[in-house]
Amino acid sequence: MSGSRRRRGWLTYARMASQGGFLILFLYLLAETQSKGEDTLGPPVRLFLDFDPLILLSTLLSSHSAPVAFYLSIVLIAITLALGRVFCGWACPLGTLNNMAASLRRRTAGHDWHRVKYLLLVFLLVSSLFTLQLTGLLDPISFLIRSLSLSIYPALNHAAGAASGLLYEHGPAPSLTDSIYLWLKGGLLPFNEPHYRQSLLLGLLFLLVIGLNLHERRLWCRHLCPLGALLGLLSRRSLLRRSVSEACTGCGACSALCQGAAAPDKKELWKSEECYYCMNCDDACPEVAVSFGFRAERRQAPLDLGKRRLAGAALLGTLAVPLMRVTDVSASVDPLLIRPPGSLFEGDFLGRCVRCGECMKVCITGGLQPTLLQAGPEGLWTPVLVPRIGYCEYNCTLCGQVCPTGAIKRLSRDEKVKVHIGTAMIDKGRCLPWAHGRPCIVCEEMCPTPKKAIWFQEADVRLRDGRTVKLKPPVVDLELCIGCGICEKQCPVVDMPAIYVTSAGESRSGNNRILL
Amino acid sequence: MSMDRRGFIKLTAAAGAGLALPGGLAIAAGKGTTLAVAKGPDPAMITRRAVEALGGIGKFVRKGDVVVVKPNIGWDRTPEQAANTNPEVVAEVVRMCIEAGAKKVKVLDRTCNDPRRCYVQSGIAEALKPLDAELKHIDERRFRKVKMDGRAIREWPLYSEVLDADRLINVPIAKHHGLARLTMSIKNWMGVMGGRRSAIHQKLDQALADLMLVIRPDLTILDAVRILTGNGPQGGSLKDVRKLDTVIAGTDQVAVDSYGATLFGLKGRDLGYVAAAEDMGLGTSDLSAVRIMEIKA
Repeated sequence: MSGSRRRRGWLTYARMASQGGFLILFLYLLAETQSKGEDTLGPPVRLFLDFDPLILLSTLLSSHSAPVAFYLSIVLIAITLALGRVFCGWACPLGTLNNMAASLRRRTAGHDWHRVKYLLLVFLLVSSLFTLQLTGLLDPISFLIRSLSLSIYPALNHAAGAASGLLYEHGPAPSLTDSIYLWLKGGLLPFNEPHYRQSLLLGLLFLLVIGLNLHERRLWCRHLCPLGALLGLLSRRSLLRRSVSEACTGCGACSALCQGAAAPDKKELWKSEECYYCMNCDDACPEVAVSFGFRAERRQAPLDLGKRRLAGAALLGTLAVPLMRVTDVSASVDPLLIRPPGSLFEGDFLGRCVRCGECMKVCITGGLQPTLLQAGPEGLWTPVLVPRIGYCEYNCTLCGQVCPTGAIKRLSRDEKVKVHIGTAMIDKGRCLPWAHGRPCIVCEEMCPTPKKAIWFQEADVRLRDGRTVKLKPPVVDLELCIGCGICEKQCPVVDMPAIYVTSAGESRSGNNRILL
Repeated sequence: MSMDRRGFIKLTAAAGAGLALPGGLAIAAGKGTTLAVAKGPDPAMITRRAVEALGGIGKFVRKGDVVVVKPNIGWDRTPEQAANTNPEVVAEVVRMCIEAGAKKVKVLDRTCNDPRRCYVQSGIAEALKPLDAELKHIDERRFRKVKMDGRAIREWPLYSEVLDADRLINVPIAKHHGLARLTMSIKNWMGVMGGRRSAIHQKLDQALADLMLVIRPDLTILDAVRILTGNGPQGGSLKDVRKLDTVIAGTDQVAVDSYGATLFGLKGRDLGYVAAAEDMGLGTSDLSAVRIMEIKA
């Protein structure tokens, strides 16, 4: 923005306060997306996702069912029909971050790329219609939660830990800096140090989107955001409209400050669908010719996306479905693809998961990780349990509680402990009692099922020196093992554990079974 | 023990465990070891009565002491499931320490399941809320390597707050364990071990006895309000829980665990770590040589 010389109206201050408030709320909910030891989380952490009508629409198309709290997104549709695309200008946390980044450069050239986001929207919705759910890759709320949870926030946490370590060793007041660090750990920083696969890639993508603002103000919002496109289409019918009086001299002052590239200087050819109602044009106008109201005559430029472009986007959305799915069939049966407890059967799961990363953020052990190609290209960034990083805590049901679309069902504790997410098997060639004549019972000790799924086949074993020892080699009970992976996590055979979980036996599948 | 804990640790560190121990041990494991066994429906009441029978908390905690109370909070289980120390027992121990004028009472455990869930679901966080006690999660940076020159382990990282405390009170629960057979007071100290502690299962009995060379509680209070008889150490089924409404207090962990073993129909020396500890002169498992005071409350 052009700095302090500018005169700002009270609406602009209200807008900035609203942006700041929503951003803080968003970050607060993100930080609260972690266990405090209770069975449920306190604050409604997935609130922003619940309000997202793009997730509603694509989930309806891809799975013929609505997200968990879909009614909230209907509220946003109603708001947009009344007031236009105010969400982008007043509430969207990614929009606000873009806004802040854009203010680092005073003036940037604009491109006429605004159609791209509508074509992306068509592409995404047409592919959802054919059950391919890719919306979450570009949906701004999913994108932001995923980027912050899996990359930026862990990186900041790591930096805070490293800095406090350095200050503790070499700083002037080690006890002071350490108590600041411990205070941060008590609230702002995560309880466990989070580590995610692909943090680097996800972080770079985030920095790219933010960095694009230096090329053009709010480039993501203007040209790429599919939620912005959806709200923009709704916005064309909105009740709140902008009008420009005869006093307008066409000086173009408003155009330079417009956040949305809505051509505010064009009067009747104003692009209502590109307007975020940021009120900058009102502030900028030296003639005070701009006003927003509900009574103004509807005057706006026609939205011409081009029939061929639309048809092309729809065709690509259709073609993407078989293309994504013929790539590699074997990927869909990766034995290590262990889904969170309560996950729907793979096809239905992929039809709903928007890869927002909420489940991975909330996972109490940090074991839920984003996939790359493990679930096929279609399954990019969906959650997979990696027990060596973190097992599935027996009594924990948080992933199902935070999932916005029901890809992971919300289960009660009693339902959850009955769900098998896989089965553990023992590598007898590496197991200490089986292969090396040494006592060890860690897997059995850790096994959480009330009747343990690991039992001992007690045996007398002759050692090299001629002694005979009684050992308790472990055996897995296939009926009882739920695949939580705590045995794999805790197995003292480092690097490649002597007991590990695969997805075989998962409750959600009819085929991926071992037992009759 | 006449010497305070800090002094003892410093002395063992300076002179080596072997030289410093015999004098201290004579007191802990000496003739006339006493156990107080209190029975009754109110866990807090029997805890208090058991400690009173040993001469009262004032014998173990003095004004201005920093006390560490070490319950078993290892598992994400509720009190009814008898996998963690009974919260009322823990709270009563803390209350007594505060009454004795302790400067600070710290309660801690390095848990097996998620620490947040363990502290909350065990009921211990709730029970300690009204008390001026510090229930903090383990800070992984605060382990300190300690030389013990034992028969199974030479040195191990142990929690510094435990090593630095003036007084140490062990408050375990009595329950089944797949390898150790039972876990009670001696095995409860795994909860202050850092590093890859699961590796000690390869020589569990001896390693636990070795740990006793450097971790020497002033008082041990064994919670047998509910005991876990199978699928331990975390259980989960109420079918494996038996309600005994009992608390055992003593200063000799070998004697306490030997008495605890009888609750499961075993003898002290049936437990490998009890035998190993007794063989190292760290206590007595011979209950006939122990003065046992039974209290109904």
